[in-house]
Amino acid sequence: MNPGDRVRADRGDRTYEGVVLPSSTDAHLVVKLDGGYNVGIDREAASVDVLAEGVHDIGEARDAEGERSAVEFDDELPTIALISTGGTIASTVDYRTGAVTARFDAEDVLRAVPDLAGRANYRGRVVANILSENMEVPIWQELASAVSEEIEAGADGVVIMHGTDTMQFSASALSFMLETPVPIVFTGSQRSADRPSSDNVMNAVCAVEAAKADCAEVLVCMHATGSDDRCALHRGTRVRKNHTSRRAAFETVGSGPLGTIDYDTEEAVFHRDHQRRNESELALSPALADDVDLLKFTPGMDPALLDAMAGKSGVVIEGTGLGHVHTDLIPRIEELVDDGTTVVMTSQCLDGRVCDRVYDTGRDLLDAGVIEAGDTLPGTAKVKLMWALANADDPAEAMETSLSGELRRRSTPWA
Amino acid sequence: MSERDHDYEDAGLVAGLEIHQQLDTATKLFCDCPTELREPEESSRRFTRYLHPTRSELGELDDAALEESRVDREFEYLAYDTTCLVEEDEEPPHRLDEEAMETTLEIAQLLDARPVDQANVMRKLVVDGSNTSGFQRSTLIATDGEIETEEGSVRIEDLLLEEESAKRVEETEEGVRYSLDRLGIPLVEIGTSPDIRSPAQAREAAERIGMLLRSTGKVKRGLGTIRQDVNVSIAEGARVEIKGVQSLDDIDDIVRTEVGRQLELVAIRDELAARNAAVDQPEDVTEVFAGTDSGVIGGALSSGGSVMGVRLRGFDGLVGREIAPNRRLGTELSDHAKRHGAGGIFHTDELPAYGVTEGEVADLREAVDAEPEDAVAIVADSGETARTAIGAVADRARAAVAGVPEETRGANEDGTTRYLRPLPGAARMYPETDVPPVKPDRSEVETPELLTEKVGRYEREYDLDRGLAEQVAYGRRMPVFERAVGEGVDPTLAATTLESTVTELRRDGVAIENVSEEQFAGALALARDDDLPTGNVGDLLSALADAPELTAREAVEREDLGGASEDEVREAVREVVERNEEQVHEEGMGAFSGLMGEAMGALGGQADGEAVSAALREEIQKRS
Repeated sequence: MNPGDRVRADRGDRTYEGVVLPSSTDAHLVVKLDGGYNVGIDREAASVDVLAEGVHDIGEARDAEGERSAVEFDDELPTIALISTGGTIASTVDYRTGAVTARFDAEDVLRAVPDLAGRANYRGRVVANILSENMEVPIWQELASAVSEEIEAGADGVVIMHGTDTMQFSASALSFMLETPVPIVFTGSQRSADRPSSDNVMNAVCAVEAAKADCAEVLVCMHATGSDDRCALHRGTRVRKNHTSRRAAFETVGSGPLGTIDYDTEEAVFHRDHQRRNESELALSPALADDVDLLKFTPGMDPALLDAMAGKSGVVIEGTGLGHVHTDLIPRIEELVDDGTTVVMTSQCLDGRVCDRVYDTGRDLLDAGVIEAGDTLPGTAKVKLMWALANADDPAEAMETSLSGELRRRSTPWA
Repeated sequence: MSERDHDYEDAGLVAGLEIHQQLDTATKLFCDCPTELREPEESSRRFTRYLHPTRSELGELDDAALEESRVDREFEYLAYDTTCLVEEDEEPPHRLDEEAMETTLEIAQLLDARPVDQANVMRKLVVDGSNTSGFQRSTLIATDGEIETEEGSVRIEDLLLEEESAKRVEETEEGVRYSLDRLGIPLVEIGTSPDIRSPAQAREAAERIGMLLRSTGKVKRGLGTIRQDVNVSIAEGARVEIKGVQSLDDIDDIVRTEVGRQLELVAIRDELAARNAAVDQPEDVTEVFAGTDSGVIGGALSSGGSVMGVRLRGFDGLVGREIAPNRRLGTELSDHAKRHGAGGIFHTDELPAYGVTEGEVADLREAVDAEPEDAVAIVADSGETARTAIGAVADRARAAVAGVPEETRGANEDGTTRYLRPLPGAARMYPETDVPPVKPDRSEVETPELLTEKVGRYEREYDLDRGLAEQVAYGRRMPVFERAVGEGVDPTLAATTLESTVTELRRDGVAIENVSEEQFAGALALARDDDLPTGNVGDLLSALADAPELTAREAVEREDLGGASEDEVREAVREVVERNEEQVHEEGMGAFSGLMGEAMGALGGQADGEAVSAALREEIQKRS
């Protein structure tokens, strides 16, 4: 008996008839009845006859690695590269586990989001097919190369479909690795694509509109509110996922988003300074130091965690308040710095600037050689340090300078 | 026509029921919000969404959903301080509510149905906006049940536990406005096999199921909390689903009328066949009505519309034929025109009338080449609407040539039905991956006492007469009654308070539905403890109806309903005895009953009878 077979199961004085589903377990046979309902039947207590084999083809996921899709070309329209990395926006039901997994390639996304048709010529490309919690440094590098190739090949904008969990890290990584003459827009969805209410349609449509707009930055394009009315365009280095499940989970920390895309009118409106198209030449610097960690200090933290940082080329600390840790930890930090580790301070307040000149602890940290990351977000600072250690002549100086809008000189949260 | 009973066996009547009942649980099926209904004005936030069709788990796109989604409708939702992110589809569902599952298993037991080994929560695709997610979560809990009726047993095919949809508030310019208060309230759906063979059996089966549901004491009561759908077909007819029968009392009428309607349609079909009937292509007949006095047609034409007509060959006299009380074949044609946006139709069986002259009818017939045995139907509206509506009319007329069309109909208040839409295809369902499968645990399930059994017990143990026992057992305050009696309240006092007193108060315009179970129980407990004269119970309930925030005791104090104190009773009794000193002297205890009435009168019902009688006895004894 295999998934897709039509079976009759006799269980006590009842009989169930239907198609076997792959979500069956050792204990329960899961059968889709003719009315559409699934029921789990106790395997041991039931006797099962196969009535017909392979009634439904429930096939395995196609291996979509590296697949390129061809779409009809319209000279009037701009060309947008659609790059898929997996995630909820391109996901479907997994029969084995019953959970939602990513298994669409870029063309599938086009098919799944017919609303994208007629807005651009699309070049589809799959870089990865992972849930974003499984993102790894080499994939960032592959992704950056893919984006660079697409732009070189004439893409007027790039849309990257990405799981929302680590989207902000990938957006930061590309912000540092690429100088871009066109928009690079990350989007995803908070509600899986297999439901009619999914936010994937509006997010994808708005992301394509953003990729056509005059903003040559790495952006995150996601719902601005709980309504299907507009998407916010966040700068890739200032954005953070601040809610586990809501559509409007992403926020620009310390200020508002750069702009919005109205779903109804398709209009892009920008409220803040941003880089225009073709102001920069395309450049790719994909090297990253892969031994950098982000360490969050909380009361009672085991000092051994700092010992474990020995020998790393970089450590970003997410300190308390203005950028502090327990005074007793400072000598260990000093040892790290002396051994050649670049130690950078950020704040778990997230909003606001670290300032280690106000209290003694801070001054001691500075004396120990800790570098302040200003108002850079901790996650962004980690990615930046990875990049700076591999690319900058003076990583410490780089961490105190804005490279891609991640660090602001003036604190103007109302602006 | 509904008056006439048909020979149902001869007609080959087959009917089944689908009964939806809301459960009265503390929280919703997939979140911890209360199952409380709200007024739209109380809403504190609102948001808008679109829904998009999706592929099913087997990779198929739903045509109906696709069709629906082509109309780009915007749905607006009203949220409350009693709803959360789960209803807004902004948070995954929590686990299936255990209380709802227990109640459903109780119902399964009463229906003699077998629970499944493992219940799998499904998503049933619904893209009309009534579910924020675009699907209704529905779980098959039990199958293979049976209930008894006088005309034989009726099998229960399935028992489902589902979430109630959001309530439609109104149409908006862009789409529909829904209210989230109702979304997620647990709902059981009971489907019978098509075992029902007569209208009386349909009603009896529905009543039986209703009684079983209420026996759990855990179902919601009141308008809209139970909905009944009836499926009816006859041998030469077709399956028709009738939605939204609001009252049990209507079920037999509905079935009877539907059988009559199908029989009439079969008779019309035979007549049409004998006449070689056919339906022509619709054509524009606007010119016929260029100078019309008909308000409807003139109105349509003056705003740039047109008149479309269709020749119905061999239909003369049949369009106007009654097929259900006050409903003709023409009414069916008109329903289809209305569904496509038109106001209705005119047809030659009813013309000249409505301002259409005999001359215009003759011109109309001539315009479409109608012979005397033909009928003509027309629609007057804006060009596009008139065209699609007359097309729908022609299609329905063609269906009449074939016989009875399968369809979904809606129940009208007068026991007739109206066309709603085609029968739905098989429901599109895929697994709700956010909720793990549940193994129904039957060990904790009790078999509740049936309401029929309760009536007997109330008569036997509480000495209530049958009428009152039935009122209480079937009434919505049965749980309060059981609780009060369990707490030592006199059953007769509890029963009369919860039924007669409540009915009187409602008649007097008291908003008795505001009084909570807790307040009822409190009031009865005060009466039990002599802290409230029974004569004041009504006044207390009336006060509580206006003060939902007060406990019964607080209301007694505020309204000063506690009755006369012991001293006041003593004082009043003494006065009565003194006034009748002579009689007391002569008759001794013989004067008791006469004076008792006088004393009670003097206290104006503010004192407990037992206290008065004790004081009176004592005072008489002192003096005799």
